[in-house]
Amino acid sequence: LHLTPVDYAILILYFAFVIGIGWRLRKSVTSSGEFLTAGHSVPVWITSLAFLAANLGAQEVVGMCASGAKYGIMTSHFYWIGAVPAMLFVGVFMMPFYYGSRARSVPEYLKLRFDEKTRGLNAITFAVMTLFSSGISMYALAKMFNLVLGWNFNSSILLSAAIVLAYTYLGGLTSAIYNEVLQFFLIVLGFSPLAILSVRRAGGWSGIQQRLAPNMTHAWHYLHHANENPMGVEVFGLVAGLGFVLSFGYWCTDFLVIQRAMAANSMSAARRTPLLAAFPKMIMPFIVILPGIAALALTQMGSGYALPPKGNGYDYDQALTTLMAQFYPNGMLGVGLTALMASFMSGMAGNVTAFNTVFTYDIYQSYIHPHASDDHYLRVGRITTVVGVALSIATAYLATQFNDIMDFLQLVFGFVNAPLFATFLLGMFWKRTTGHGAFWGLIAGTLGAAFTWMLTVAEGKGGTIANLHDFPSQMAQNFWIAIIAWSTCMTVTILISLATRPHPETQLRGLVYGLTETPHEQGVSWYRRPVPLALIVAVALIFLNLLFR
Amino acid sequence: MLDLRVPSGVFFALTGAILIVHSMILPGLRAPMTDANVNLYSGVVMLGFGAVLLGLAARSRRA
Repeated sequence: LHLTPVDYAILILYFAFVIGIGWRLRKSVTSSGEFLTAGHSVPVWITSLAFLAANLGAQEVVGMCASGAKYGIMTSHFYWIGAVPAMLFVGVFMMPFYYGSRARSVPEYLKLRFDEKTRGLNAITFAVMTLFSSGISMYALAKMFNLVLGWNFNSSILLSAAIVLAYTYLGGLTSAIYNEVLQFFLIVLGFSPLAILSVRRAGGWSGIQQRLAPNMTHAWHYLHHANENPMGVEVFGLVAGLGFVLSFGYWCTDFLVIQRAMAANSMSAARRTPLLAAFPKMIMPFIVILPGIAALALTQMGSGYALPPKGNGYDYDQALTTLMAQFYPNGMLGVGLTALMASFMSGMAGNVTAFNTVFTYDIYQSYIHPHASDDHYLRVGRITTVVGVALSIATAYLATQFNDIMDFLQLVFGFVNAPLFATFLLGMFWKRTTGHGAFWGLIAGTLGAAFTWMLTVAEGKGGTIANLHDFPSQMAQNFWIAIIAWSTCMTVTILISLATRPHPETQLRGLVYGLTETPHEQGVSWYRRPVPLALIVAVALIFLNLLFR
Repeated sequence: MLDLRVPSGVFFALTGAILIVHSMILPGLRAPMTDANVNLYSGVVMLGFGAVLLGLAARSRRA
């Protein structure tokens, strides 16, 4: 890609605005609560879009476009099965406990519901995971800019890190959330024209269907057996692994996204945050996946565009940038690259702000220096932001060891998030669950995930102890790792809970279903109530799945 | 608290304006695989989006 001054002007304008927003918000940050939890004062339309945008990192835009070209419309399962149902569940059922408990973080909820050791375990694993995710975002950005623009790898990493550090350091979580919304708008407006132009050039959806194999344009038809579809998964692995365990494990327990909802200015707004976010989430496949599918169709029709070759196949990770080079003139090219930069930065900032909250409240305040003044924790929060960015840079270099970012992320989430969802499900909906049960269940679930990986092989990876089973793809292996981790955690938690003494019910009020007052909705318009909103999303979701079945 | 619609509106209005002006300075500029004036159309959409955000912010301030 060859950039001209107009492209750089748009990029610089964007940098100026994101830092400007942080600068403008710096005066509103006077306490650790305002810096780390946004003071529970953000309007619902902002928290909803931030809830979505915090997840719009490297894996979303570049990875989903690449997956579209590699796996076809089945990639939409990451949205329609692998995200939206979980977003409805967390909004309708789980948010009353998160927001109602007044916990400042997900680990803190675990402390209130279970005990200190469960909080500590979750806080530490989450902190490590956010650093990895942040580093992977940064690595992907630098690698792509090096490949596409010839920018220096190290300079790209340092530039993106410096800008994220500037606005998160200045304005804390509020600044990150505000910028995520700006980044979301930019991603939608920056990539929608690409989807329209590339699909139109490929002959529309009907033209794409004519040119590609049927299993690339049907989301459900070819799931009877793993060999029938390019993803190498069957319906149970997909629905149980991705649609239930991984999806609910991420959207219902990952503090990165839950933090956005908890920043809302009321319980009602917190519950509506994931529900309102589900509307644009349903539409995102048309913006990020369709161009990838169109790229493959254009390659096969000999249109003058071709996916870059790699080995015996294609370099799918370059689908998005090569399409931009063909469909965007200078000017819009600058907008597209800025949108790419925005997606990486929103993912990175989301991880950094979640990391500094968990480190400051759940690790530093709990174990290192309790009972200090609020000014002290505000200072620690700011220093942690700097340290978090520095550690993210370190993990970015570590990520160079892994080729497929998406599969690696799924692997990490399988180890950490999958068992956690079983813990939350039992903790929130079964008052008999105990702290010992939750803690050992999490340990057992994580070990179950690790051993499953070490005992099975997919695409030459895993099987470090023995090879008991060959999966047709890493995707299938990851889904089954998640299923086994969740089942192990669920079983062990139940068994140990039944053998240990539960908390008295008086300690569980506001934390467990049946002991928590249901939020009142009398006099609230129907379109502001969680259940009707969730039903509308569910109907639209069924329609989309039927349309692309 | 800062009304996010204001900086977002200004950003998209400016970006849209840059694209429109660029498409006027170089009216024949096209990407290799499309005949559409992508800069002009996208610029108009962005300018319009920015104006809507600023309009909403102004209305909320009056109310």
